[in-house]
Amino acid sequence: MSWRERLFKIDRRVLYLLIAVAVVVPLIKPLGLPTAVTPHAQHLFDAVDRIPPRTKPLLLSMDYSPSVMPELQPMSLAILRHCFAKKVPVIVMTLDPNGVGLAEDAILKAAAEYPEIKEGVDYAFIGFKAGYNVVMIGIGQNFRATFPTDGSGHPVEQVPILANIKNYDDFAMVITIAGSAIVESWIIFAVTRYHVLLGSGITAVSSADYYPFLQTGQLCGMLAGMKGGAEYEELLDKHDYSHAPKRASQGMDAISSAHIIIIVFIILGNISYFLSRRKKA
Amino acid sequence: MFSTNIWIWIAAFLTLAIFSFLYKDNPLYRFAEHLFVGMSMGYIVVIYWYNNMVPNMVNPLLVFFRGFGNFSQVWLNGLVLIPTILGILFLSMFTKKYSYLILLPLAVDLGLWNGVTVPAVLQADVLKQAQGTLLGIHTPLLSGQVWGVVNGLLILVGVITTLSYFFFSREHKGALGVSSKVGIWFIMLGFGASFGYTVMARLSLLIGRVQFLLTDWIHLIK
Repeated sequence: MSWRERLFKIDRRVLYLLIAVAVVVPLIKPLGLPTAVTPHAQHLFDAVDRIPPRTKPLLLSMDYSPSVMPELQPMSLAILRHCFAKKVPVIVMTLDPNGVGLAEDAILKAAAEYPEIKEGVDYAFIGFKAGYNVVMIGIGQNFRATFPTDGSGHPVEQVPILANIKNYDDFAMVITIAGSAIVESWIIFAVTRYHVLLGSGITAVSSADYYPFLQTGQLCGMLAGMKGGAEYEELLDKHDYSHAPKRASQGMDAISSAHIIIIVFIILGNISYFLSRRKKA
Repeated sequence: MFSTNIWIWIAAFLTLAIFSFLYKDNPLYRFAEHLFVGMSMGYIVVIYWYNNMVPNMVNPLLVFFRGFGNFSQVWLNGLVLIPTILGILFLSMFTKKYSYLILLPLAVDLGLWNGVTVPAVLQADVLKQAQGTLLGIHTPLLSGQVWGVVNGLLILVGVITTLSYFFFSREHKGALGVSSKVGIWFIMLGFGASFGYTVMARLSLLIGRVQFLLTDWIHLIK
């Protein structure tokens, strides 16, 4: 068997092993590669940073399930840390039934790092509501009718941060962290109908679909995939808002090294393919 | 060094069971896969019941049938009967005799959502995007940003040539042929960008699980 044939017949498990090594080694021994902040991540950070402390709350909608947790949970944590550090009130909800546990976990983790932050005053979790389009329109028409209680079942009138919320006008901005096309629904219903200032955090798979909405200003900023989470973590670190372990940033070295392996094998695969075609001709 | 939390061990075992499929299909993988599907469905049913069915259907119907509160409150809650009956009619598809009844909730659903979404989608996805495509050149041109103009021109050419590729009422010859060929290049670039992002997304998921194993299970990294 010639080296060309061998190259063409590499066992896929060899590739898996190489990818595993490329991922594990940089996580144990970080390479320290820099993370450049894109303008879209910077714009989202600036939009949150401009909200004055203890005024209108930010609505953070964590619309994803555990299947995309490694990409999106660092974003949610970073935004919560930003709000808690800046004393920006934050109301968390989810439009994904699997997102309840993730949202509670993120809030508990971030709130533990800021002991002065109080539940019900600085933040509230209002839980999950089914039928996301209806919920988005419902918040615009009557917040209390859509969310009569918070996530623990307390009537909204008894929760200080929620007591004066009537509709989108009472929010400084909305950020959706989503692993599906929910972002587009937010644009269609919240931005178009109610002129909400919307930012988003999305999976890398869907990020190419949402760049046009940045150009038109329908999204004020965007975090794309684990890289987006890493960028926000870097910005928090740079502005002294948080020095907590940066999960997404840790993953960027691993992503870079795994990408190199994939690029090398794409090139090798193509060379081998063209050589075998020439041989046949 | 290893975690002492039983749940972390269970999660680590299930993660490794799923990864074992990379070597080849095996009973451990299938056990983890079936457990995941069953657990997810059970979890979703419970969440939907307590977050949606109880507050939006069960509680208002209890108020209506038991006659709590004043007359108008009771009748307002009674209105929930209409969507409840429409919802139940979806189940008629499981009977041969009454399956035609599903048309009623379907008609309401389609009519309602077309009315709500069509104008908003047209505004958000068509008009605003068309405006953005043109203003992409106009705005940087006014402010003298050379690269902004180049970027805007690229977007404009990309949109027009890609649309011309999907124009099937004439044979792709002459100017239309050239335009559609340029359009294919833009489409291919778009696919390439999407594929690159997909690779990154899948690697991120792998990294997330490896981080869990190394951080929460083995405590090898912080």
